[in-house]
Amino acid sequence: MRAAPVTTSPTPRRIGIAAVAVVSTIALTACQAPAPEASGEPVSGGTLAYASGDAEPTCLDPHVGGNYPQALLAGQFLESLVSRDDSGEIIPWLAESWTAADDGLSWEFTLRDDVAFTDGTPLDAEAVKANVEHLKDPATQSSTGYLALGKVDRVEVVDEQVARFVMSSPDSALLESLTQPWVAIESPAGLARGMDENCQAPIGTGPFIVDEWVKQDHVSLVRNDDYTSPPADAAHDGPAYLEAIDWRFVPDSASRYAALQAGQVDVIDNPQPDTISAAKSNDSLAWLDAPRPGAANRIELNSGQAPFDDERVREAFIRAVEVDEGIDALFFGTAERSFSPLSSVEALAYSDEALFEPDLDRANALLDEAGWTERDADGYRVKDGARLTLRFPVSTNQSIPAEQSLFEQVQATAKAAGFDVVIELLDLSSWYGALAEHEYEIVSAPYTKVGPDVLRILYHSDSITPAPSGYFANLAQLDDPEVDSLLTDAASTSDADTRADLYERAQQLILEGYYLLPLYDQQNSFLLSTSVQGARAMPTVSTPTFYDAWLAD
Amino acid sequence: MTPGSPTDERRSIRGATLRRAGLLVAGAVFVLWAVATLTFFAIRLIPGDPAQAILGGPGSQASQEALDQVRRDYGLDQPLIAQYFAMLGRLLTGDLGVSYALKLPVADLLGAQLGGTLLLAALALMLAWILALGLAIWSTGRGRVASALGEGVEITAAALPHFWLAAVLIAVFSVGLGWLPPVATGTLAGFVLPVVTLAVPLAGFLAQVMRESLLDAMQQPFVVSARARGESALGVRARHTIRHASLPAISLSGWALGWLLSGAVVVETIFAMPGLGRTLLQAVTLRDIPVVTGVVLLVALVYVLMTVLTDLAARIADPRLRQEAGR
Repeated sequence: MRAAPVTTSPTPRRIGIAAVAVVSTIALTACQAPAPEASGEPVSGGTLAYASGDAEPTCLDPHVGGNYPQALLAGQFLESLVSRDDSGEIIPWLAESWTAADDGLSWEFTLRDDVAFTDGTPLDAEAVKANVEHLKDPATQSSTGYLALGKVDRVEVVDEQVARFVMSSPDSALLESLTQPWVAIESPAGLARGMDENCQAPIGTGPFIVDEWVKQDHVSLVRNDDYTSPPADAAHDGPAYLEAIDWRFVPDSASRYAALQAGQVDVIDNPQPDTISAAKSNDSLAWLDAPRPGAANRIELNSGQAPFDDERVREAFIRAVEVDEGIDALFFGTAERSFSPLSSVEALAYSDEALFEPDLDRANALLDEAGWTERDADGYRVKDGARLTLRFPVSTNQSIPAEQSLFEQVQATAKAAGFDVVIELLDLSSWYGALAEHEYEIVSAPYTKVGPDVLRILYHSDSITPAPSGYFANLAQLDDPEVDSLLTDAASTSDADTRADLYERAQQLILEGYYLLPLYDQQNSFLLSTSVQGARAMPTVSTPTFYDAWLAD
Repeated sequence: MTPGSPTDERRSIRGATLRRAGLLVAGAVFVLWAVATLTFFAIRLIPGDPAQAILGGPGSQASQEALDQVRRDYGLDQPLIAQYFAMLGRLLTGDLGVSYALKLPVADLLGAQLGGTLLLAALALMLAWILALGLAIWSTGRGRVASALGEGVEITAAALPHFWLAAVLIAVFSVGLGWLPPVATGTLAGFVLPVVTLAVPLAGFLAQVMRESLLDAMQQPFVVSARARGESALGVRARHTIRHASLPAISLSGWALGWLLSGAVVVETIFAMPGLGRTLLQAVTLRDIPVVTGVVLLVALVYVLMTVLTDLAARIADPRLRQEAGR
């Protein structure tokens, strides 16, 4: 699932889900740590004010389109069939149990029988069927959810509480896909109202209900007093502690932080690295670090055309650039260098640091070997009269200022080896346009999805074929039959060990082919007033959940 | 002016006023047409497919069928010139179309946002006037030091960028002193910082203009005679020269409102206020052509109206302009 394709403010990034907690001293920074240690007993009541820097959604139903801003909000009022816990295990949510057929061509989900949507409609197999049909209906204009259900042919109602997913081919990623908010289960009666109405206030089973959406201002969420269906890893049962959430859209990151400092809001998202660094020394603020799942942020090398169709040139680029110091300095120590195509959140992520050791001599030798022997007056390498130019379109919507500065350091260090990196700052439409026209040699594109199946989307040769819009996900244009077959097998095997082994081999091949330069996890974090207790990020797509949260005095 | 009976004179003034009104309306229609035309073609020069904008924004993975369907539904498969005339036809009937991204009528969207932005701009304009008048009156005719100080303040204020001023105000009054909220939430207190942010640079501009004409007016014979009648220096300034000083500033106010509306894009974003500025920014990002066109037309309309109003206000402030109408 593409990450936040429409984001008017810088997308955040950050490593190792940490929950930095509580009254000044206790800070948990373990990967995928549980909720901040609560101090004292939960208290009921109060309104939590949340300031979001992500773009305001154009539709609150995450089935429609399907981006991260929608997921942030939907996580408060919609729920999925299953969830994922901190260790990466799939756990029950709206479905209490599930079984897969031996051939992997059908799955049966048994739903909880004590759950109703907030409009009173009971949660049953018919509802699940209606949701899958809604997602697969072209009129819904679903993109992310549609892809997540790509191998689901249809849903059959076995009995009232049992839904059978009939697959067109086995999908080892089905459960991971179903954890995502983009395929959350909504009230069929709500869906039947039509897109316009459903977009304003989707009806789910979640701990909060959409009360009002004032465009460009806020969404009011009120507590669902009849709530019964927390995911299996929640800290309590019954309704949420908070009475309401006031969800504001504050696009300017400095204003968001000021509002948090002034006590006007309790939680902000998308803090910039310098802000996080400042907040760390503030005793009344806590940092919730929640890198997104799926792919790590990385620079992809377009192997589909010259000069990166030559592996030697790809390796030369990767050996030439130095990013470690830049990441440390520009991200104020809030981002950890990655050496894997996958997010550190993913249990199956495979790293190989040795491949990314900077080595300018080797870079120069490789370029000489590849025929880029001459240099022009500016010091750039030339072959047959053409300069060794790398076009680098950068999306100002997706790359925060710190990342843009990092790319300038990539440019500077690559120059030493004779690469002419031409950075082009573009808005989202122009950026997608440049990619669709293959007007790039290097590019950085975030991609959020639960589970390692993101590798198939990003590196299987099928993903070079563009969608009608021109969009394609395999930006490295990696076209290797061996990688293809590993990823295809991994996606259809039902054996966990085999799957892990196949993904590891695929990642080895991808890394060893020098198709990408991993940078860090897709940064995603939140700053909270220490009066907010018990908040955590979902171990699925790292959106915050306030079901267990309360406001201490 | 030919002397005539009072009735004749009134009639001829009325005729001139009607002619003038006719010209103004024709001018306004021309400006709106030109703006609509420019916007229509300019927005098609920037990359981005409207059909994609409708189907979930840039990078959407919409199917070919969906794209085709949308192109048919929205007439995007028609030649550009046909789309242009279709748009003009819709505009003539007052139909601004439907937002690509929000799927809501543009008129409703803008209607909901117009009030907030106009209120913001009007308050800022008022505050700017008060600040500028105060500064100009205080610093004129008090010797070189006051004059230089006044000039310095004006130039500095006029040069302050909105984003910087906003950041400083937030740092001081929200984070530091905790007096005012950094995010405007519809309360009166929330309006203070955005209004001040917009007003201060504008006050700098206005005060510069006012001082010039104030100085000019102070040289006039009527000032000397008023002073000779025993009026105080301040009294003269307050009663007699302000009118003169205001004239160019009144004419500038039309321009100022446009300037405030563009400033609103920055200020509304920083203070997270709903309004036309933010609507425009979001619409451009999403390639939401009907909304962009709608905002631009609306701003043009406000501009035209303000020009008419400042023209009228100048006539009220300066009787000579009224006389000319009768000529």
